[in-house]
Amino acid sequence: MTARLPLSMALALFALAALGGGGAAAQAGAPDVDALSDRLDTMWTSSASIARIELTVARPTGTRTLRMRVWTHGNQRALVVVEAPERERGTATLRRDRSLWTYLPRVARTMRIPPSMMLSSWMGSDFTNDDLTQSAQYRSDFVGTVVGRSDAPAGWLIRYVAREGVVGLWRRVEFVVNDDATLPLVARYFDRRDRVARVMTFDEVRPVDGRTIPTRLVLQPTDHPDQHTELHYLDIDFDASVPESTFSLTELERGR
Amino acid sequence: MLDATTLRIAWRNLGRNKRRMALAVFAIALAQLAVLWTDGLMNGWIDSTVHALTGPMLGHVQVHAPRWENEHAIEQTVDHVDERLAALRALPGVEHASARIYTPALVARDTDARAAMIIGLDVSGESTSGLLEGVPRDQLPSGHGVLVGATFARQLGLSVGDELVVLGQSVDGSIANDLFTVSGILRTPVEEVDRRGVVMALAAAQETFAMPDRANELTLRAHDASSADALAARVAALDGFDGLDVQSYRELAPELTEFVDMAGAYGLIVLALVMIAAAAGVANTMLMATFERRRELGMMLAIGASPARMVRMVIAEAVVTGLVGVTVGTLLGALLVFWQSRNGVDIAALGGSSSGSELAMYGVAVAGELHPWLRFSDVALGFVGVTLVSILAALWPALHTARLEPVQAMRS
Repeated sequence: MTARLPLSMALALFALAALGGGGAAAQAGAPDVDALSDRLDTMWTSSASIARIELTVARPTGTRTLRMRVWTHGNQRALVVVEAPERERGTATLRRDRSLWTYLPRVARTMRIPPSMMLSSWMGSDFTNDDLTQSAQYRSDFVGTVVGRSDAPAGWLIRYVAREGVVGLWRRVEFVVNDDATLPLVARYFDRRDRVARVMTFDEVRPVDGRTIPTRLVLQPTDHPDQHTELHYLDIDFDASVPESTFSLTELERGR
Repeated sequence: MLDATTLRIAWRNLGRNKRRMALAVFAIALAQLAVLWTDGLMNGWIDSTVHALTGPMLGHVQVHAPRWENEHAIEQTVDHVDERLAALRALPGVEHASARIYTPALVARDTDARAAMIIGLDVSGESTSGLLEGVPRDQLPSGHGVLVGATFARQLGLSVGDELVVLGQSVDGSIANDLFTVSGILRTPVEEVDRRGVVMALAAAQETFAMPDRANELTLRAHDASSADALAARVAALDGFDGLDVQSYRELAPELTEFVDMAGAYGLIVLALVMIAAAAGVANTMLMATFERRRELGMMLAIGASPARMVRMVIAEAVVTGLVGVTVGTLLGALLVFWQSRNGVDIAALGGSSSGSELAMYGVAVAGELHPWLRFSDVALGFVGVTLVSILAALWPALHTARLEPVQAMRS
């Protein structure tokens, strides 16, 4: 059929399809989803970065704060070392690709976290070990579409649906991003039963080493309204010199 | 109501056809024997199941923080453990009370970690009755020595003397980690403990997970398992226990309770079936006996025996037959149950398996032998049942006898 279509008509159809791209994208000023995905995937990292973060875990029984230093190479390598409090100082987590190791200075041992524990809490927070390995990349593992405008908060509602065959915790993640699609405001994570399992809010936007990014991430698990975790970026050096050897077991176990 | 003469006549009548009588008595005896045998097995089976579940793991009554039942989070603790245990031990009917800590943790011998369940418990208490029953003294956890479930140990390639790193989360949310030494391998019917359990002394767990004088569970053992519900009520009424969840094993394991209740109903069904068979036997015997004696019965009526007396006589014959049968059955049944109790019955064989495989309930393998026993009520129910059934079954032949026309009856 298509082969017999006059060329002009085929071109016209092609143009229509490209313009349409889904009903919502027809709206004026709709954001470029691919650009947004790239931005989300690399918002707090670079090819070599060093960051200082503060992790505050709020529980009904009390709140505790950990200060940590984070070395990264893109999304595949990360080393997180606890600097404070004193009791947990030196506890380190190394992520290489999909593997995770923890160094325990108290007993001077390194432990590899088994895959079965990827969904368990990381350092007692609402983040999971899986979050740390950031195995999901919005660009490659999800299909993003612009759903339309959002009211609370005001911005664009972008829906990410996991690509077929991608193993991951989230079937669907919905972001609300600001008008020019440069900053995430809220992310809602839907579990396999399509219920909101947790909500992440992004705020305290400020310039950090040449990038303007949210520096406070608050993670709220839906089934535990009385607890949450805050991740605060104190500073990030996006042009750091981080040798590959940083992400080795010997370096992990080196006394700090 | 029943005068001696009637009874004597009835007794003499029984001897008329000895073979028929013996058959009736035998049938009823067999019925009672079947009832006692199933009752005995059922009692033993319930006992061993309840014991298998409550012995190592459940206890008879448990005390938890309110949300523990659904969430099992380490920070859901019971505080002032020592004080509370003292109060519990002072309660009448309490044989033993101890505290436990349960928390998930990562455990590694080398680098590769595995998910484990840490159980901190009162070692001396649980080695006499509880999870550590049967563990050799020198292997019991103490200090930083831990027992590891047999399957878990096999999977990790652990043996006695190996060092273990434990990584978990303290009650305050901080990282808990420490080194332990395997003091022994724990063989237990509790599947969870066998597959993932690392058992340490309560004090070691309290220290590692920063929970001094706190625990996740208080477990009570009652002198008598059947008083668990009443004991739970008494515990809940104790000072300072009002904010806590207090449950008996009957509430903790509702399916077990249901199963036990169902077993009771099943016993009644067996009793009913057997009684119907007994009724048929008695009715048949009495019908035969009365039809055969029409002439004689007619004669008795003719010489002045009242119809009511005839009814009493026939019923007395039936009841005596029934009681003799049930007595013989009780003797045989009691002997059988006593013999089985002495020798034990293999549970697996009872379940129709010859390979000696185990039956599991609540992740606890129920294995070994059961020891049947009888209640007085099991025996009494047979006596009462057979007596009632004999009377009912004899009513028709008795009334038939009472309505006989003496002259016609004698002529036949």
